[in-house]
Amino acid sequence: MELSLTGKFQAFTTGKFEAPQLATLRGISLFSQIAASELRTIRGLLHHRSYLKNEIIFDEGEKAQAIYFIVQGKVLICRQGRPIDGLIAELGAGQCFGEMALLDNSPRMAQVRAIEDCHLDVLFREDFMNLLQTHSHIASKITLELARLMGERLRQTVNSYVL
Amino acid sequence: MQQASSAHIGPVTWSSIIASTCLLIFLFQKILWLVVPFLLALLLYYLLAPLCRKLVLSGLSSDFAAALLSGAFLLLVIGMLLLIYPVVIANAGEWQHTLMRYLEGGSRAVETLIYGMQQRFSFLRYSDISVSVRENMVSFAESLSSKHLSGVILAVVAWLPSLLLAPVIAYFLLKDGARLRKFIGESVPNAYFEKTLYLMYALDRTARLYFVGMLKLAAIDALFLIVGLWLLGVPSALMLGLVAAVLGWVPYLGPIIGCALSVMVTATDFPGEMPLIYSVIGLFALLRILDDFVFVPYVIGKNMSIHPLLTLLMFFIGEAIAGIAGLMLVIPILGIVMVIGETLEIIFRDTRLRARHAYAQKLRKQAANRDLGLQQ
Repeated sequence: MELSLTGKFQAFTTGKFEAPQLATLRGISLFSQIAASELRTIRGLLHHRSYLKNEIIFDEGEKAQAIYFIVQGKVLICRQGRPIDGLIAELGAGQCFGEMALLDNSPRMAQVRAIEDCHLDVLFREDFMNLLQTHSHIASKITLELARLMGERLRQTVNSYVL
Repeated sequence: MQQASSAHIGPVTWSSIIASTCLLIFLFQKILWLVVPFLLALLLYYLLAPLCRKLVLSGLSSDFAAALLSGAFLLLVIGMLLLIYPVVIANAGEWQHTLMRYLEGGSRAVETLIYGMQQRFSFLRYSDISVSVRENMVSFAESLSSKHLSGVILAVVAWLPSLLLAPVIAYFLLKDGARLRKFIGESVPNAYFEKTLYLMYALDRTARLYFVGMLKLAAIDALFLIVGLWLLGVPSALMLGLVAAVLGWVPYLGPIIGCALSVMVTATDFPGEMPLIYSVIGLFALLRILDDFVFVPYVIGKNMSIHPLLTLLMFFIGEAIAGIAGLMLVIPILGIVMVIGETLEIIFRDTRLRARHAYAQKLRKQAANRDLGLQQ
């Protein structure tokens, strides 16, 4: 759709001139509560990476700088070098991993490798910290979802011990 | 984010860092017309970035906020130049006369100072040092308008278009900084991706701390000098304090010129008042000590994590390679090269990362060859 001159100026001043191809971001659980206009801001911060099946995304003990979102494909989380007997979880599209990187400076707690060809979006801690300053309402929604996710994972861990 | 620290850089990396810094200074002095506006643009970028963030927070897009701020700054500079130009033209003759008067006053003060030393120290008594210094200063004053002043004015006019580039570069840095980071990040192999992004953030942090530190230091120095000169009763304390603080950005040489200007003004307006002149020199000496031992370590040095001995050594090397430009460029370049060197050392020493990269390359090659051997 062709915009008028006033429309173009309005779009330029508000940053709403990009094509709204945000469906993939909407599919990510951590961004489920975020409005379309806010997703555009997040999209500007995300780095896109492609991994092949069996490629290692990060190792246990590595310095953590970023959280990863699975756009397409599957990954396996396991103890370092033990994908079978040290399996922790398998995650698919819409899920995220490495979330502790947003919260503290601690090293990675497990190894993550692609078990299918994957497309991942990556958000760096520094960008998230900037987001907290510039768009605190967006960052707070992500933080809330992050807290929910961690609570859910904690519940799963507790249940697995009880059972 | 963790700050880059020089603690675990090995001797080979250190040598490479110093050699790279020297090479960059040597190359940069050849393209100073581009390097100087770029440095000013960085300064402007770090100055405007918080304002840009506030505008984005208030609902503007980052592109519009960058355009608004850079445009406003450019208009401000052009407006100031248009306002200043007629004033300069109207008062040029009078200012030249005032400058000559201050130079004359300064040379008289130097002569008195040297004469006093000759009276006190016998080994100086029979030398003609005071005569030769006075002759040199008088000859400099006489040739000022014919040789030096025209050169300075021509240099300012020649540099003006290049300096006006600074707001334009700052605009693109504000607008496209994040995109540039994404673009660089996406060109890096998966295994080194996080480390490279960390490097970029560390570089950004180092540069921001340095440039913002420089601005803070200039403000502290200006305040100290304005208050000090005003308390001593020196006329034009505000102007002298501001000029000396900005000149302080040129290491070693700048403070000396700033002090000399203040001494010239004091000696001309209060002829023969040697205690006042000594007080002005003492004030600048005190500021130097405070800068070196208190302000710089706390405002810049601590953030840059550069050893004071290395800083001093690099100043000498920078000056030897590129003169005043080398003095000004050496520390920011060293800080940036240090972060790059440290990160590269981490990457090259990490055999696991290299093995992961080699494995990923093998997987990519296999994927590319997957269906090449199929028969129809």
